[in-house]
Amino acid sequence: MKPYLAHARAAALSALAYRANFLLSLGGVAFQLIALLAVWRVLLTGGQVGGFDWPQMRAYLVVGFASATLVGTFVDFRMSHRIRSGLVALDLVKPVDYQRARFAETAGGVWIEVVAVVAVVAVTVAVGGALRTPSGPMLALFAASMVLLVPLKFAVSYLSTLACFWTENFVGVLWARQALTSLLSGALVPLAFFPGWLATAAQWSPFAGLTSTPALIFIGRASGTHALLLVAAQLGWVLAMWFGARLLFRRGLRRLTVNGG
Amino acid sequence: MRTVRLYVRLLGAHVRSLLEYESDFWIMMAATVVMQVVNVVFLAAIFAKVPHINGWSFWAVVAMFAMVAIAEGVGSLFFEGMWNLAWQINQGDLDYMMVRPYPVVLQVSSMQIGVNGLSNIVTGGLMLGFALANLAVDWSAGRIAAGVVVLLSAIAIKVAINLATNSVSFWMQSPSPLFAFAVHQVGDLARFPLSIYPLALKAALGFALPFAFVSFFPVSFLLGGGTAWVGLLTPLVAAYCLAVAWFVFSRGLRRYESAGN
Amino acid sequence: MALVEARELTKVFRRPDKDPGMRGAIKHLFVRRFVDKTAVDHVDLSIEAGEAVAYVGPNGAGKSTTVKLLSGILVPTSGEVRIDGLSPQRDRMAVSHRIGVLFGQRTQLWWDLPVSESLAVLRDVYGIDHGTYRRRMARFEDVLELGEVLPVLGRKLSLGQRMRADLAAALLHDPPVVYLDEPTIGLDLAVKDRVREFFRTVRDEGTTVMLTSHDLGDIEGFCRRLVIIDEGRIIFDGDLEAVKDAFARERILNVQTETAAALDDVRAALPGAQVTAGDTPLQFSVRFDRFTMTAGHVVTALAPLANLVDFGVDEPSIEDVIRRVYSGELVLTP
Repeated sequence: MKPYLAHARAAALSALAYRANFLLSLGGVAFQLIALLAVWRVLLTGGQVGGFDWPQMRAYLVVGFASATLVGTFVDFRMSHRIRSGLVALDLVKPVDYQRARFAETAGGVWIEVVAVVAVVAVTVAVGGALRTPSGPMLALFAASMVLLVPLKFAVSYLSTLACFWTENFVGVLWARQALTSLLSGALVPLAFFPGWLATAAQWSPFAGLTSTPALIFIGRASGTHALLLVAAQLGWVLAMWFGARLLFRRGLRRLTVNGG
Repeated sequence: MRTVRLYVRLLGAHVRSLLEYESDFWIMMAATVVMQVVNVVFLAAIFAKVPHINGWSFWAVVAMFAMVAIAEGVGSLFFEGMWNLAWQINQGDLDYMMVRPYPVVLQVSSMQIGVNGLSNIVTGGLMLGFALANLAVDWSAGRIAAGVVVLLSAIAIKVAINLATNSVSFWMQSPSPLFAFAVHQVGDLARFPLSIYPLALKAALGFALPFAFVSFFPVSFLLGGGTAWVGLLTPLVAAYCLAVAWFVFSRGLRRYESAGN
Repeated sequence: MALVEARELTKVFRRPDKDPGMRGAIKHLFVRRFVDKTAVDHVDLSIEAGEAVAYVGPNGAGKSTTVKLLSGILVPTSGEVRIDGLSPQRDRMAVSHRIGVLFGQRTQLWWDLPVSESLAVLRDVYGIDHGTYRRRMARFEDVLELGEVLPVLGRKLSLGQRMRADLAAALLHDPPVVYLDEPTIGLDLAVKDRVREFFRTVRDEGTTVMLTSHDLGDIEGFCRRLVIIDEGRIIFDGDLEAVKDAFARERILNVQTETAAALDDVRAALPGAQVTAGDTPLQFSVRFDRFTMTAGHVVTALAPLANLVDFGVDEPSIEDVIRRVYSGELVLTP
């Protein structure tokens, strides 16, 4: 456990070293939140659209902002570089599990994001009034869903970064991931706005757990057994992707050694 | 003229190495197309539930999205090197550029070709084409000529903002241009009609970071109507942005400290 | 006015002053302290056309910073630079045609292009016509054996290949002034020799060369003028031979004899010299000041005392002298 804590601590420290840049990039995302709020406010002045009223949509977007900000570390950037340059071979010599070490780094950087999210949510509440919070058990489920978000988001980015074993081009992979994620997670628009088949498919995909699931539980559009199932799906995807990634990593490594790095 | 010819020469030098990694080329193209498709799906999902956003139809908003895509595309295809400025400053890579008889800013921006720009220009062009075909534009020779000027100016504004924000890296220590990324994200807001935003945001996008002149004002100029004349200011705004960008870059260059101290 | 002229040239870098560790990082968030580091401190330098100058000093003395100031890469904190009467910071374009710069630690070649293509791009940047370009390339081919390097991609070059290609790149436009900053760093001996040979040709063609190095082997046999910088200040500017004369006055005569000599007799015969026994009884050495006695004098004195088989004189190299200057053993006043 100790080496992983060291990784987490180092990541926590470096998050601080580039705090100015972190704050600026956060500013960009926060600005976007304000703007999206503006868009939906205009759309929802007449009442409901797609079953969402304004207070619901506002809460949905705030949760969406939180989930977009969390786990935004640059572990994937460094990892892609080390894979492409073959330096990953050096990391494997260390007496730590590669995947766990990367997760520790990711988790280590989360604290600064949590601080930022709390601050932005506080401002939002101060400006636009309190958010309706769900009842006790659902609040607990929401919290669980947010916690699961960390390993889930890590798994998605880790898995996609492994593509660097097969391609030189990480940026392309990253963009495709971000585009698909923003659409299928419900970050751009709630999944309920999609045609039925797409909404259902997205809802049970790993991406829904990145925004839609916690946001829907928070605003009460998912509750009871349905909510429980959605969180279970999050957990299921975390496990499946965690072990799937191990499999993929081994295959990638074999490729690296065959090609001589 | 020599300046332009030499620019093409510098940029062209990279074409060959670009073709060396064919799979990368296709990944970038595919990723960009996915991003634009996601945008259109997102718009379609919203407009399936509401007929207008503040009076702007589906196709009008598609045209605004298209303008941003085209401007970004030109930025990537011809001026992608700007995004490497932070890294080059951090590494001291400007040293040699500063002893060559060619403007440093043009050496920087021609250091790389973003192939994704090509697909952004193509998909953006298609979107704009479809949008204009579906919108009732009152075409005349004058409007076409003015339209072309406005379009080119809009692109220049986006490129100038890229340069100015990336030049901020001269004042920062980070090797990645997160400030520029943050502003770039703000620019995405300009894809929506400016009229939906609160006054402060209108001011921000219209004056401080005049992204509204990349998409909203040019499109509203083509569609005619109340504030269409503002679109005619686009060339002036472009000149202003280029001047500011040049000023920031020049001031930054004086601060450049190379590396290794 | 000299071709290269620096007056009161000063460069101060401002660095954040941070305590190590998490606590230091947090503290720096709230209390931003900076320290000023003067890398170049009121340097006066003037180099005439055709002159070759060695600019030496220990690591971190301010050598590279001076070169960057002289080539317009850095803006001086105070003081002035003139190249052929022009300021490299203000008249960047005009000055760039007059100077060639090589930073040994850094390449100017495009990493994703073959060397030939990098050079062709530079040809177009400097506006060199094709005939002249071919002529210069032929010359580089001769002296640097550039041919084998031309088809190699920038990122695949070995260090020696890279340095040769970078030399060609720096001199492609035939600049009247050339700064070579650590041009042999990391090279193996064979390549070093070839590169040094190339400097000499450049110098002999009348190019003004300023050679910055901490490898003093680059300097011997290259130039007459030596400038030593330490902690940003010029501590010596003068004739290389004069330094040698003034400070390398010590000579060592190593002697081999047929039968063991009585060293006490030798000491008595050579007052003022130091006599030390060698590795075997048949060897010894005599240290003397060449201003008080000559090697011939020493040999003559030894002849009746020992059966000489062989002898040789060690002269201290300029390297030794400068090393002693760095370490503070010698104080130079030009």
